[in-house]
Amino acid sequence: MRERILGGYDDFVLPFMTGMAFILIYLFIGLIRIFRHMPAQDRTRFFKSLLSPSIMLKNAKDIVNDCLLHVKIFKRNILLGYMHASIALGWFMLIVIGHIEVALYVPQRNGILYYPVFFRYFVKQEGALTLKGSFFFFLMDFFLLIVLSGIGLAIYKRFRSRALGMRRTTRPCLADRIALACLWSIFPLRLLAESFTAGIAGGSFLTKPMHWLFSNFLSNDLHILPTWWAYSIALGVFFLALPFSRYMHIPTEAFLIMLRNAGIKASHPRKGFAEAEIYSCSSCGLCIDACPMNVNKRNLKYSSVYMIRFLRRRNEKKTKAIADKCLMCGKCVAVCPVGVESCNLKRAHRATRYNTLQYNYSYLGNGSHPAHAHADTQDTPDILYFAGCMTHLTPSIIKSMEEIFKLSGSKYVFADKDGGVCCGRPLLLAGKEDAAREVIARNSQLIQTSGCSKVVLSCPICLKVLKEEYKLQGIELLHHTQFINSLIKEGKIKVKDGGESLVYHNPCELGRGCGIYKEPQEILQQVGELRKGEYEGKESICCGGSLGSLTLSYEERGKITQGSLNALTGCNPHKIITACPLCLKTFAEKSPVPVMDIAQIVKENIYTNTYETYSL
Amino acid sequence: MKNIVVIGGGPAGLEASAQLHRLGYNVILVEKSPQLGGHLAKWDRLFPSGIPAKDVLEKMVSQINGVKYFLEANVQSINLLHKSYNVILNNGITVLADAVLFTTGFDLFPAQKKEEYGYGIYEKVITNADLENWFKTKKDNRVTENPKRIGFVHCVGSRDEKAGNRYCSKVCCATAVKQACEIKQEFPDVEVFCFYMDLRMFGRGYEDMYLSAQKDYGVRFIRGRVSEVAENINKELIVKAEDTLSGKPIKVTLDLLVLMSGMQNCSEGTKVAHQLGIANAGNDGFFETKDAIYSQQHSTREGIFFAGACTGPKTLPDSLSEARAAAIEIHNYVKGIR
Repeated sequence: MRERILGGYDDFVLPFMTGMAFILIYLFIGLIRIFRHMPAQDRTRFFKSLLSPSIMLKNAKDIVNDCLLHVKIFKRNILLGYMHASIALGWFMLIVIGHIEVALYVPQRNGILYYPVFFRYFVKQEGALTLKGSFFFFLMDFFLLIVLSGIGLAIYKRFRSRALGMRRTTRPCLADRIALACLWSIFPLRLLAESFTAGIAGGSFLTKPMHWLFSNFLSNDLHILPTWWAYSIALGVFFLALPFSRYMHIPTEAFLIMLRNAGIKASHPRKGFAEAEIYSCSSCGLCIDACPMNVNKRNLKYSSVYMIRFLRRRNEKKTKAIADKCLMCGKCVAVCPVGVESCNLKRAHRATRYNTLQYNYSYLGNGSHPAHAHADTQDTPDILYFAGCMTHLTPSIIKSMEEIFKLSGSKYVFADKDGGVCCGRPLLLAGKEDAAREVIARNSQLIQTSGCSKVVLSCPICLKVLKEEYKLQGIELLHHTQFINSLIKEGKIKVKDGGESLVYHNPCELGRGCGIYKEPQEILQQVGELRKGEYEGKESICCGGSLGSLTLSYEERGKITQGSLNALTGCNPHKIITACPLCLKTFAEKSPVPVMDIAQIVKENIYTNTYETYSL
Repeated sequence: MKNIVVIGGGPAGLEASAQLHRLGYNVILVEKSPQLGGHLAKWDRLFPSGIPAKDVLEKMVSQINGVKYFLEANVQSINLLHKSYNVILNNGITVLADAVLFTTGFDLFPAQKKEEYGYGIYEKVITNADLENWFKTKKDNRVTENPKRIGFVHCVGSRDEKAGNRYCSKVCCATAVKQACEIKQEFPDVEVFCFYMDLRMFGRGYEDMYLSAQKDYGVRFIRGRVSEVAENINKELIVKAEDTLSGKPIKVTLDLLVLMSGMQNCSEGTKVAHQLGIANAGNDGFFETKDAIYSQQHSTREGIFFAGACTGPKTLPDSLSEARAAAIEIHNYVKGIR
């Protein structure tokens, strides 16, 4: 293999180089902007993370899994995963092998940006093909074929997205269309260009036969140059359109992964970390199908992907509308292949607008509290039961929990028996950060001075905020599903199979919010026949009652509730079981079958009689 | 002789049947329950002056001599045959009716849907209908001797978007005031609290009743919604509410809590109306009249008429007036008078 063009340059590389220079400068400025807008402690945190081997290892793993292999998308749909992985991995390998070829055969051209890209134009095959040469030729053709198969699928998906597991996809904007047209043409043009030069530079199973085919009717070598020009222009235009299109996620996603692994969260809806998230959104539209609001077709426009699009374009009015409408159920975050935490962006956006009201929380005071009754004595109960205000609206849950505490012989203090202070999550969701901090401080103080080592909560909304925002050192936080499950496992209570078929509705705040999936399932398998709903685990859909939305009307909420109920009752259960007082209240109004909290069904099926326990 | 089918044997149905019968029609009255009178049959006394419900009902029933009525009967199917309606009842009777009158009335809002008030969960929580039944029969274990404090919660399932009913049920304010006074008559030493949003004392004599409740009976009216109800170990109820006039949260311990359940359209009546395509009305669930002011008794379909609470919450005198109006409208329709 020898250099064919003296000086290693031809004018056709200019479009590519222009695009490349543009995108590199753009990315560099973007990087500086993100660092500048980030709070100082986040910046330090990021640089520190680069020194931690465990985080770096995780970074490498996540980048390979998410950016190259697209494991998350594979899990969702094999074809869709293959489409993404083939293009990403194939393209990446073409670049890597291109560089290896340059380093091996024309080491004097090392470091020239365009050289590996147009390698086949600049070199000439001399003498017989060596094994090493044919190996690289094979690899290059192989990965080109992989990429081409991905492009083929992508084109097919544009017309029939359903075949790849997507009911709805996003509407592309102009820059998207330009970049898309370039992306679709880059690799076919590359194949064409390399096939024309295969007679000079050599090729393998793909380019060689193409060359023979072409040489039968296009014998003149003059058509080589125009195809290389076209290939270079497609690449150049793609890079020029990149920052304005959805494909910006290709260069930014890896950076986002590193920021996220460093433990940084969005503190502003548009700047710093948020900017990295916004540009990493691939606009794939998986969140459109996921959004529970889309039972109403006209709510399609409130999907997270559009919120991010409008944030990127700085369209305040539309961003605001979407940020306020969102239920904050977190399903779009759960399905997002890039892991954009759009709910945090929405919360941050609300905080920029609604954090202005003056609150007077002086009445919270420092008065005595039932939690302190035992604090100084020896017989401090271990458990602090925090029902939360939502649970106070569903007294049946409290009654059941009191019964379970009694029957299991657990000593506990009922923290908010006589009314408590809000946990702060509703305030946070509404953007009222300062007000939330005040109630959080008051509650933290109450819990910490109670002397209890465990807090059992009935409301997952409270649990989420206690876990994330309260700094409760050494205190274990348990949802009552976890607590009941441990009681059953330790044999402190015994339950029987009530003989009814049950379906479990996974509350957003418990499942996606706190990552609790296993315990409710384990309990329910013991008290009845647990059937599967249409959406299980992290795919669960909102009951419609979420506190998250600020503007959704009752009619629209009603439709979401109905949709969610339909998905649950498809398996014909006797009862719907949930583990959140808000879901319980919302469903109970519309459900065709009885709805119960998990605490209620456990209480119904508990052995109260010691004789019964022995006769087991 | 022309046939008229009247669906629902409550006050409106009884009155309309009597009037139509007098006008010379063959009236067939269909009632789902084993007795005539609807909700009126379960009521003790009526506001504003405390007339016994029994007297009013007896008067009405005495007027329907000659009307054919079927108890424990449902309309199984109803459809249009040329210009008349073919009505098939579940007892096997088929009527070819020249006109059909819906006097299907209302269902009480199921109070257990407002779980935070604890109906069906706490022993001492009852509804307005339960209390009326106690006045009538004095049989209800939940109402104990010598209570110390009793509360009334207005607007349970009315003016409440979360409960799905945005409208005012019209009669509960006056009913609550009436029941509060009656409870004071029964237990002179009891303290009575009424938790209200607005008091809508629109009818003749209602305002006097309200003033008398405050002056003569000492009922305490607290403007604000009850937020939640809890039960203590003695089965007493701890009620938390906000007094919006003084701007303070309040908490009282009660021996009995009465929930003023509102009205919603009768579910059985809605099923029948579905077959005619006239059920899917406004979003409040009540039937839509042809015109909100001029043609209150007409449905959107020829030959189908409405009277009473099936087109929205109504007082008893309202329903009776509508029944008489409907009788005349049906008469005009059958005679071809426009």
